[in-house]
Amino acid sequence: MDSQFIVSFAFILATFGLYVGIAIYNKAKVASDFYVAGRGVPAIYNGMAIGADWMSAASFIGLAGTVMILGYDGLGYIMGWTGGYLLLTFLLAPQLRKYGRYTVPEFIGDRYDSNVARLIAAVATIIISFTYSIGQMSGSGIVIGRLLEIDYRFGTMIGAVLIAVYAALGGMKGITWTQVAQYVVLITAYLIPVIFMSLQLTNNPLPWVSYGEVLEQMKVLDAELGISDYLTPFTNGTKWQFIALMFTLMAGTAGLPHVIVRFFTVSTMKAARWSGAWALLFIGLLYLSAPAYAAFSRFILMTQVANSPINALPEWTKSWVDTGKLIIADTNADGILQWTELQIANDIVVMATPEIANLGIFVIGLMAAGAMAAALSTAGGLMMAISSSLSHDIYFRSINPQATDKKRLSVGRWSIIIASLVAGVVALNPPGAITQIVAWAFALAAASFFPALLLGVWWKRSNAAGVISGMIVGLSVTLGYIFAAKYGGFTILGIIDTGAGVFGTAAALITNIVVSLATKPPSKKIQEEVQDLRYPEQMTYRDGEVWLDNGEDIPPTK
Amino acid sequence: MKKIDKKVADAYFRTRTTLIMSFLAIGAIVSFGVVLVAESLTEITVMGIPLHYYMGAQGAIVTFIILLFLNAIISDRIDKKYGIDESRNESIGKGNPIDH
Repeated sequence: MDSQFIVSFAFILATFGLYVGIAIYNKAKVASDFYVAGRGVPAIYNGMAIGADWMSAASFIGLAGTVMILGYDGLGYIMGWTGGYLLLTFLLAPQLRKYGRYTVPEFIGDRYDSNVARLIAAVATIIISFTYSIGQMSGSGIVIGRLLEIDYRFGTMIGAVLIAVYAALGGMKGITWTQVAQYVVLITAYLIPVIFMSLQLTNNPLPWVSYGEVLEQMKVLDAELGISDYLTPFTNGTKWQFIALMFTLMAGTAGLPHVIVRFFTVSTMKAARWSGAWALLFIGLLYLSAPAYAAFSRFILMTQVANSPINALPEWTKSWVDTGKLIIADTNADGILQWTELQIANDIVVMATPEIANLGIFVIGLMAAGAMAAALSTAGGLMMAISSSLSHDIYFRSINPQATDKKRLSVGRWSIIIASLVAGVVALNPPGAITQIVAWAFALAAASFFPALLLGVWWKRSNAAGVISGMIVGLSVTLGYIFAAKYGGFTILGIIDTGAGVFGTAAALITNIVVSLATKPPSKKIQEEVQDLRYPEQMTYRDGEVWLDNGEDIPPTK
Repeated sequence: MKKIDKKVADAYFRTRTTLIMSFLAIGAIVSFGVVLVAESLTEITVMGIPLHYYMGAQGAIVTFIILLFLNAIISDRIDKKYGIDESRNESIGKGNPIDH
């Protein structure tokens, strides 16, 4: 056992202890604690929790690498994943909060007055959250595995068991405060190495300001090598693919049930608006730093690794060559490693930085804890979304509406435990690369939830037949396009599988509108409830009139 | 409960919706708009970074964050102007009629 092992192990163990401790302290006592954290989370903390819930293992480990490898084309991920918060905070979150349900499928079921719609939404939540969680589980496995030098499959199961324990104990209340802690851990771990790297390369502690300098030097290096400039747009796909991907990620972000439900934990529409603003500020800290990581790492690889004699590469490259994340082959046998003879996996960029910049064992340990925090916080939120769908939308609303609070808590807890363990087992042999799976989850959310919620909030005429056919058509078009593009070589304007959401969303919106108009309008009560969402809590829309609750007299009953 | 003039209620909704739509339009211009004309922006630089790359890596995200905070601040002002009391909202929101 070397000292690195002990330090990494200590960091991971300490953070795990913290998460379980928080969950024990915030144990859920009643159903509203379990599903919506008692609806009293302050906006700024909810912003942190949204940040941790949102930023996954893929964001933490893979995003900077994706930007490095794709150059300008990788920025579609950055703008898409942040821009989604505009759609969510402006168009959906406050209104959904006012409607006051526990889950997203429950909103869809009650707004459209349809059990079928609720069940489809519940199943879609489970499928989307499950696919998305596989990446988190295997991501946590890779981190634990690499740092503790054990098989990543053990790592995956350790992560799954940990989530099962702390999520089941605290429910949404425990997860909220765990996510706040996880945000602090992950952002600290993400920022420290990039700040040091910025200091080493540019003598400026602000990577966001300094990496322009590095980009300029890289332009010269690229020109010398005669390879296409790092910043040239649309080298890895068409402009339409860029735009389709960006749209898919935005609409998918606004439609992901595990993110939306975080807005249900605050007290008012105002708090929902502030949550969205804080959330994007906290998320922005990481997303603004990813391109800096990408620039610095590419620069170091170009100047310190490329053009070195193949038997005199820097020390840190060895462990990455061993794991196959860095592939070097002296194809022209001149004893020198050329840039074109290097193949870099995208996880390297962030995880190897502490070693590249020689930041010592504590930063490496912190990095491991940060990557774990990113994977666990997202996985926890996803397990919560799956459990809510199973225990609330399906069990309580459809199977046993008479269940006592105690019974519902126990069903909720067991469904989290089972979902976490099943996801852990599936993640032992994860299908496809992490980013790929995540990108599909976004296309599916963009095509099912986003149109259903958007029209549900903003168009009172939309009805049950419209939403059901819209969700089915949206999902079919998206899945059809993904498979046709991925395996059949069929594309429109060069849009590949990751951009499929743009077609699915359009198809779902059109279907919902056309079918709604062709069938009977929703009941007067529902139409009034939708119009009521235009106003803050204190204002109520009823019988064509708006009332202000000034607390003076008992509100007239409906 | 006090009845509000329908015109006042409509004005509230219209103000909020106009605000949101303007912000969404700005958000779309700095992201989708810039991508559409990316090739023509490569010669202009910000802090040493060509403008098209700068907007994707920083400009758009910073704009999004500013828009979200502006929305939160301005919406609070609008609420105040229309006499909305947040503590009243809180007690209504918490004692939710549909908490099963």
